[in-house]
Amino acid sequence: MVPITGIDFERITLRDALDLAVLIEEEARDRYWEFAEQLATHDTPEVADFFSRMARIEDRHRTELLDRRRTLFGDAPTSVERRMIFDVEAPGYEAARAFMGVRKALEAVLAAEVKAYAFFNEAVPRVKDPELQALFQELRDEEVHHQSLVKAELARCPEKPDDSEAYADDPVAQ
Amino acid sequence: MNTFLGPNDYKSPLKPIWCPGCGDYGVLQALYRALSAIGRPPHEIAFISGIGCSSRIPGYTTAYGFNTVHGRALPIAQGVKLASPELLVVVAGGDGDGFSIGGGHVPHAIRRNVDLTYLVMDNQVYGLTKGQLSPTSPRGLKTVTSPMGSLEQPINPLLTVLAYGAGFVAQATPADMPGMTALIEEALRYPGFSFVNIQSPCVTFGEEEQQLRAHKARMKPLASLGHDPANQLAALDLARAYGTELYTGVFYRNPEPPPTYDALVRLRQAELQRGEPRPRARVLEAYLRS
Repeated sequence: MVPITGIDFERITLRDALDLAVLIEEEARDRYWEFAEQLATHDTPEVADFFSRMARIEDRHRTELLDRRRTLFGDAPTSVERRMIFDVEAPGYEAARAFMGVRKALEAVLAAEVKAYAFFNEAVPRVKDPELQALFQELRDEEVHHQSLVKAELARCPEKPDDSEAYADDPVAQ
Repeated sequence: MNTFLGPNDYKSPLKPIWCPGCGDYGVLQALYRALSAIGRPPHEIAFISGIGCSSRIPGYTTAYGFNTVHGRALPIAQGVKLASPELLVVVAGGDGDGFSIGGGHVPHAIRRNVDLTYLVMDNQVYGLTKGQLSPTSPRGLKTVTSPMGSLEQPINPLLTVLAYGAGFVAQATPADMPGMTALIEEALRYPGFSFVNIQSPCVTFGEEEQQLRAHKARMKPLASLGHDPANQLAALDLARAYGTELYTGVFYRNPEPPPTYDALVRLRQAELQRGEPRPRARVLEAYLRS
């Protein structure tokens, strides 16, 4: 189960829910950028490129949601904050490994999409407003679509021996 | 003026170079969020560290930072707090930095009760120098400096700081990000010396059962056991399980925090400024007259 922290689903408004969805995409985008930087630093350029692409995708989702929020509510202040959410659609830090292959990276993305689905699925029955329910259902269903895209890419990705346990340098004594 | 500070306001442009999968990434993220919850601007915060992977943290924040020398973060942090009591002082380091070369400073920082927060990223190995035995390495651990397995009993950081009288003692893991963030925030808010032992796994040289996936399965929140954090004896008893059980949460929180050393120093300074000649000055005067 994905922890839901600091969000009062009894009182949340449509505006807050949209802001929350923006923050969830933003968190995922930032995490993928972090992973891209980590793997670029640790000589894993192919996967670094892959995570950069994921970051751009999440940023596009964020922009779409932000546009929708602005159309409906303009620049009205928000009452949700980034620190209220934890790794909803962002993969956990443990998912990255130096020298990991693209297949492992895709599996990490799929796990993150499954996690995001669980979050929205859990949120749906907790809100009473039909408009809010519809929004969370829509976001949940989008995660199903994302999962199918990742699965299709996984099917095209060849199984290669994973060398993430191999390191350039062996441990040494001081 | 909008004074809201989000987690990214504490993030510096310097990119972390820890190994991908390192627990310290989660710690840093939790720290940004805890600081955002506290709401103090970066120029009111100082990060002091020693040497090691986790000691790189000051560079990754927008607060003041001092990446000092091995094992000497605590004395320097105490000096910073006494010189600038208005600063929120956070000390970050590893188990080797804190309990081996810097071990002699831990009791004194605790007994003085200087108002600072000490975050130890305990990975049970010297990671930066490529996997040697550390003071918290479990007995039997095979490393490059213990190829047949460690013969040593590890230090128990929780029991150590509790025994020296720390007013706030907690343990966290990056496997529980909301829990870790809440604990760091609580430690930062505690008025006095606060300590959080963070089981932050070394992804390169650490044991498989010490990794985050294993933590998720093993961790036991103290709150779910019904532990009362005001009960120091119960805290000591639970802390004995370090190395076998992964308890997370607040072990001990002094319900009546005593005055901090920095507060006492300010009182003493005020007394001295009230005009009464200092004893040393009187002695010097008598000597000069003789």
